[in-house]
Amino acid sequence: MAGATHVLPRAWPRTTAWRRRGFRRAVTFYLLISPWLLGFVLLGAVPLAGAFVMSFTNYDGLNLDYVRFVGTDNYARAFGDSDAQYALGRTLLLMAVVVPVGLALQLALALMVNQPIRFSNVFRTIFYLPYVIPVVAAVWIWKIFVDPTGGLVNAAAGAVFPEANWRLLVEYPTAVLAVLTIWGAAGGGMVVFLAGLQGIPAEYREAAMIDGASRAQVTRYITLPLLTPVIFFNLVTGIIVALQILVQPMLLSPGILGLNPGTVPPRDNYLYAVHAYIEIFTKQLFGYGSALLWLLFAVVLGLTLLLFKTSRRWVFYGVEP
Amino acid sequence: MAVRRRSLAPAEMGLRYGPVVLAAAVFALPIFWLLVTSLKRQSEYASSLLPSALEWANYALAVELANFVHFATNSLILSTTYAVLAVFVSALVGYGFARHRAPGHSKLFVLVIATWMVPNLVLFVPQFVLFARLGLTDTYWPWILWGLSGSPFAIFLFRQFFATFPRELDDAAEVDGAGPLRIFLQIYLPNAGPAIAASAIFMFLWVWGDWLYPALLLRQDNATLAVRMANAYVDPHGNPLQTVTMAGVVLYVLPLIVFFAFAQRYIVRGIVTTGIKG
Repeated sequence: MAGATHVLPRAWPRTTAWRRRGFRRAVTFYLLISPWLLGFVLLGAVPLAGAFVMSFTNYDGLNLDYVRFVGTDNYARAFGDSDAQYALGRTLLLMAVVVPVGLALQLALALMVNQPIRFSNVFRTIFYLPYVIPVVAAVWIWKIFVDPTGGLVNAAAGAVFPEANWRLLVEYPTAVLAVLTIWGAAGGGMVVFLAGLQGIPAEYREAAMIDGASRAQVTRYITLPLLTPVIFFNLVTGIIVALQILVQPMLLSPGILGLNPGTVPPRDNYLYAVHAYIEIFTKQLFGYGSALLWLLFAVVLGLTLLLFKTSRRWVFYGVEP
Repeated sequence: MAVRRRSLAPAEMGLRYGPVVLAAAVFALPIFWLLVTSLKRQSEYASSLLPSALEWANYALAVELANFVHFATNSLILSTTYAVLAVFVSALVGYGFARHRAPGHSKLFVLVIATWMVPNLVLFVPQFVLFARLGLTDTYWPWILWGLSGSPFAIFLFRQFFATFPRELDDAAEVDGAGPLRIFLQIYLPNAGPAIAASAIFMFLWVWGDWLYPALLLRQDNATLAVRMANAYVDPHGNPLQTVTMAGVVLYVLPLIVFFAFAQRYIVRGIVTTGIKG
């Protein structure tokens, strides 16, 4: 705006009026967003810059007297840290299970409750409920559900195979973690899919039906392609969340039923974020832990960018309502 | 549609209702088991499948043993404070983005979305160091500061919501001499009911349900219910009381479920409003 007034020959009173108005408008805008901007600088940009600097030091989180720069030692150490590599492997494995299975389930649930069925609100609420349940409660629910002594899973298994005594949390902790995660996230993804489904004009499907398409064909060739932007959104957020899973495995650790929330999870559930958490808050290695977290951020960013690159091939943005 | 529904063949009825009923049963089973366990006597926890009599005393015990009211009050104060501050500030900032232009406008909005993408822990660790340096650990100040800077999700939601308002309202108010703040307070905010409800619920739920931040930032006694509930209820010998724990978990979750039963339509509308579809 200001640039244009320089180029065009105009009477000066009008120019200053314009400028003054533009200036006032800019001030208004910046005043209105100032709480967020201030928060972004003080609680976002400054701490992030601090964390970046911290990742090149030996900071222990306590006092600054012994802090010194260690160059890229923390990063070099992270690449040689067998625990970090193992944890990253477990995290990627969990992600590879939880994200596709979760996505398919969310889509299936949304398609099911989007049909003209009775009590569809009740079904929606049931599927959404686990998403609302806080993580501490969800972990307790699953701990008791799969508990060898008082759990329903073992009681049911015992009815089929007498002598069944599955100690799922000890023998297959990652399976429990995966089911817990999928169960907890399903409702959130379902609602986003539902919003997407309801954004597809009914005429498209009706037109295809009139042309003789079966219901399965309509889903496959009309609904799914139009839903790819939503699938993409849920895929990206699902991956970002899955790579950072921390609290569930911490609280799912055995011990006297979570009596000691600081205990280390079983080896199978030793995820990357858990490793970083333990290095930082248990071992007080703030510098090294920060380096681990920046590497996680790099992985998250890399995967997201990769997905955005591939999205041109399969995400369909063609429809204007 | 009603006519067609009545004339459905049994096979089609089975196809339409079978999977959804099955899925609902699987989803509800762990929650059902939570309720069942919370009503068993501790002595029959391992031995019998269903309670012989409904042991409501577990709930009284859960309240008493955990100092439940104290921690529930902490949770309520912290969640409400954060939700009120974050919703109000986010609405104001969202209004700014929706209705006012200035150089840097679109870049700043991209920044709002970008902060949404940064992994929580990457941001939290340096914030933790900052709060510790400032002596704000063990206090509720971190949540007040978070609230005062708004939430990227809610800012986005309000921006999308306010962008649909007719501009003539602003013009009319401006002619009457109202400034931007008055326009926001008297026109935009009072008409933002659904967006306020949807974001308030999410903000409240975030604090009520979060375990990590209160566990790291607060003391044992001023922490929230989530932190308290992470520890098991035990008898004087240190043996876990699973039935009482489940009663405590029910009491911890119940307010949210009641809340959501009433607010379900706002949530869906809120998500539709953000226009995630892209």
